[in-house]
Amino acid sequence: MSLLRVEDVDKSYGDERVLRDVSFEMERQDVEVIVGPSGSGKSTMLRCVNRLTEIDDGAIYLDGEEIHGLDENALRRRVGMVFQDFNLFAHRTARGNVTLGLEEVLGLSKEKARVTADDYLDRVGLADQAESYPAELSGGQQQRVGIARALAMEPELLLFDEPTSALDPELIGEVLEVMRDLAEEGMTMLCVTHEMGFARSAASTLTFLDDGRVVERGPPEQLFDDPENERTSAFLGDLTDVR
Amino acid sequence: MTAAEQTQAAPEEARGSTVGELPGRRRIAVGVVGAAFWTWLLARWAYHNAVLDRLVTAIGFSDLIRSEIGVRQREPWLPAEPFEAAADVVGGIVSALGPAGFLVEWAAWLLNLAGFATTIAPELAAGAFVTVYLTILSMLLGLVIAVPLSVARTYGGPILRSLSLAYTELIRGTPLLAQLFFLYFGSDLANDISQIGVVGSGAVPRAAIFVAIIGFTINSSAYQAEYIRSALQSVDPGQMTAARSIGLSKLGGIRHVILPQGLRFAIPGWTNEFVYLIKYSSLAAFITVPELFRQAQDIGSDTFQFTNVYVIVGAFYLALVLTTAMAMGKLESAVAIPGVGKSAGRD
Repeated sequence: MSLLRVEDVDKSYGDERVLRDVSFEMERQDVEVIVGPSGSGKSTMLRCVNRLTEIDDGAIYLDGEEIHGLDENALRRRVGMVFQDFNLFAHRTARGNVTLGLEEVLGLSKEKARVTADDYLDRVGLADQAESYPAELSGGQQQRVGIARALAMEPELLLFDEPTSALDPELIGEVLEVMRDLAEEGMTMLCVTHEMGFARSAASTLTFLDDGRVVERGPPEQLFDDPENERTSAFLGDLTDVR
Repeated sequence: MTAAEQTQAAPEEARGSTVGELPGRRRIAVGVVGAAFWTWLLARWAYHNAVLDRLVTAIGFSDLIRSEIGVRQREPWLPAEPFEAAADVVGGIVSALGPAGFLVEWAAWLLNLAGFATTIAPELAAGAFVTVYLTILSMLLGLVIAVPLSVARTYGGPILRSLSLAYTELIRGTPLLAQLFFLYFGSDLANDISQIGVVGSGAVPRAAIFVAIIGFTINSSAYQAEYIRSALQSVDPGQMTAARSIGLSKLGGIRHVILPQGLRFAIPGWTNEFVYLIKYSSLAAFITVPELFRQAQDIGSDTFQFTNVYVIVGAFYLALVLTTAMAMGKLESAVAIPGVGKSAGRD
């Protein structure tokens, strides 16, 4: 059974239709990358999966269960999210950012949460920054804490909402490296990103979303090298030329 | 530029924007005067404290604490005579100078004022005691009401939101004195409180003080709620999104993420309300509470030196307000989030 199945999802903000009949499926350990121009509905699609945004029509299944039948907090325990603006808890240390969910959502003891948090910070290469506050960290470090925070909840699926878009160019690499490691370890990931290098090398499936519709979907090599749709080749071609 | 770099780029020695941030020597001067004032005040309170009296009498020092002396009969610790003598000398100079006497006349007035201040200081200290605990209790109890009010305004549904708004606007929209009169004269509250056995006996204050605390608590909670609401709204919405995304409930996010940050941002506004309340606690004088302003009124009626009394009591309020502002400044830096500027860089 597929881990995530999105079926004919529609979403409008007022008169503006953001998602139209979007459907796709992900297996466990898949790395699905969604690309598309600004305003194409990529981020909205992502937020529908953990119900930060509610869909108007259609259905989304997580491991066979329709997510609107689940408690939203229980759903979010199973579907982690990494944000464009990191959104680290500003008043807590790097470690405190990770322990909050462990203690208050998963009910771990303080000591257990601390050990677990340090473990995950170590995995993203920030063992030595556990005591630092977000404002004392670089953007790349903050985003890695954000990843550790989401990972520590041991989600079945991890959503990445343009995780490198707010970063200075020299800081993007460290975040992508962590994401690549995760992909290799078999984490199921749904990523919205403009990092075409990452999309090409790490994605198991690439989806091109434009104007709220899935224009083309397939293995990254196919979309990059031999796209069926003109708009896909125009979009990916433009980006590839710039690089 | 990253947030960390922005913080580092900010000049270390920022221009002082509060009393606590005055440049070195001036801050120390204010601090020393404030510390001296509070040392004297606390000593004065201890000297006439009934509970302390019973305690030290029990261990054999029957005359150390003098709680039996009524407020009106209390002796000053500094004699007034030297000031009065000096004022007389200056007065002589003023007459000798003739028309040019106005040049030193102020010195004679100041010396007279100082002499008078030492005489009335014990009574004002007793009043300041009531003012201080009235204000602190009302602020803290008000905070307990203000936090849920402001959370309801910011995160509540339509019903909670309108209830909180109605409370706030009703309380802010009517005069505090009218509220106090309503509670004290217009309701049975004072009577009901008097029925409680211990009220008014021994160290327990009279019913009027309880009414004043209730009145100030209600009034202050409305203002505090406004300050806290605006602070909560200044917390980045992404913080709540992140809290929800790890599976925290809305209440969990408010408790663990929004309030810890919002309450920090609220400290400057809260300080403002605190120093206001120190001063508008003087309205309790009109419902017979023997606080600082009431003592001043009574001394004025006894001595007819109204101008002098109000100048001196004004200095008392100023000392209370300045020391409060400094203490709150200390609190603000003590709980500041590392790396986040106090007024800038809250992004």
